[in-house]
Amino acid sequence: MKRRWVLAVIAANLLALVSLAFVYPHLMVGPGALVRGHAELATDCFACHAPLRGAASERCIKCHLLPDIGVRTTKGAPLEKPVAKASFHQGLIEQDCMACHSDHQAPKLTQRSRKPFSHSLLGPAVRERCETCHSAPTDNKHRDLSVSCGQCHKPERWKPATFDHALLDKAALERCEGCHKTPADSLHRQITGGCKRCHSQEGWKPATFDHAKLFALDRDHDAKCVTCHTGGDYGRYTCYGCHEHRPDNVRAKHLEEGIHDFENCVECHRSASEEPGKKGSRERRKRD
Amino acid sequence: MTIKGSLLGREVVPFMFALAALALSALLIDTLLHLLNAVWIGRYLGIPGTLLILGSFGYSMRKRKLIRFGQPVRLLRWHERLAWLGSLFVLVHAGIHFNAILGWLAVWAMLINVGSGLTGKYLLERSRRRLEQTRQRMRQQGLTGAELEERMYWDSMTFDAVKKWRSAHFPITLAFAVLALAHIVAVFLFWGWK
Repeated sequence: MKRRWVLAVIAANLLALVSLAFVYPHLMVGPGALVRGHAELATDCFACHAPLRGAASERCIKCHLLPDIGVRTTKGAPLEKPVAKASFHQGLIEQDCMACHSDHQAPKLTQRSRKPFSHSLLGPAVRERCETCHSAPTDNKHRDLSVSCGQCHKPERWKPATFDHALLDKAALERCEGCHKTPADSLHRQITGGCKRCHSQEGWKPATFDHAKLFALDRDHDAKCVTCHTGGDYGRYTCYGCHEHRPDNVRAKHLEEGIHDFENCVECHRSASEEPGKKGSRERRKRD
Repeated sequence: MTIKGSLLGREVVPFMFALAALALSALLIDTLLHLLNAVWIGRYLGIPGTLLILGSFGYSMRKRKLIRFGQPVRLLRWHERLAWLGSLFVLVHAGIHFNAILGWLAVWAMLINVGSGLTGKYLLERSRRRLEQTRQRMRQQGLTGAELEERMYWDSMTFDAVKKWRSAHFPITLAFAVLALAHIVAVFLFWGWK
């Protein structure tokens, strides 16, 4: 008898709990609060859900007319500020609202697991026109570009990007400093010529410049670049920039040896210690 | 000291271990699913969990003679294993952070049910062990039938405790079943099965 009473009390409690699911479905059954715009539908689950079939896009579109998205409210009134970004909805490859939207706000812990927007849902025409939704960057890197974003960036994410200098026009290509900072180290500070004399467009390193191939800068030649390369022109040099090599002195010495063509010093002298005719110097010249 | 040690080692520790293993396993699987970005698996683990728990009812049905096949002792072992594993799946499923109160009530009812089941398991084992020991000892002492009956009374009281526990376990299971069923019906009603 007592057991029957206990069971009756438990059954009554369970019945009350289950009844609450009908009175407060948003609390008892709903997986989370509805978004602000749908707050008035909180207790009307079947406004969006079809019994046994879940929420269907067809029901969303009944209120959210596709041409009106971003332009008008569901009541047909024009939006104060039309949302240009929302216009891509008209160019989606299929009408699957739940692919991106969940009206029940999930707890913070699960937000990471929610499906993000996928660009693959966009029709080809919209997918090509990134500026439909995204504003073009105005920084130095992007200012001179006239090619589409897809040339460097992938639809999934902005970074990493694969930039190719060939996309730049000739004028922008010549102005490396338009995008890159000029190196401030002691070597580069002295150089005023274009970067591409030493560096390629594929990467800053490796740089092709090796001074020792042309002339070894030993301790007697530990001088500033402008001592030899006057006027910032690194395609030319002079050995008469220091007191040691005076034109009349050099001329006299070479004529004495019967050498009349001595204007291009490094043709024979690849280092301070290397004299023409010495072992290795001829081979080295050939190699270079 | 020996008796206490024995009680702790043979009864309390396994009881606590089974509960702790359930909680730790659930946390571990939940963490793995989150790390592997495979939370969706946990969302569907409620289905195999429920089926395993339903499978564990084979023992309950045998006990109430609703079915005739299977050895009760073997079915009891399967009842324990399937219910534990099913509860683990449902716990992981619950760890995927649903908000509905009904779902949480069902999970709490299930946990109370698991606790109750483990309590029953150790109550039963303890009673059986004690009863057997007493019976052996009294036989060796050469006690008469009346004396044996009197002494056995206290031990049979322990079996009574098991019976009383069983009468508590059933309503707990009933509450769990109703709440779980309500949760399942709600899911079937509103979820988009694709």
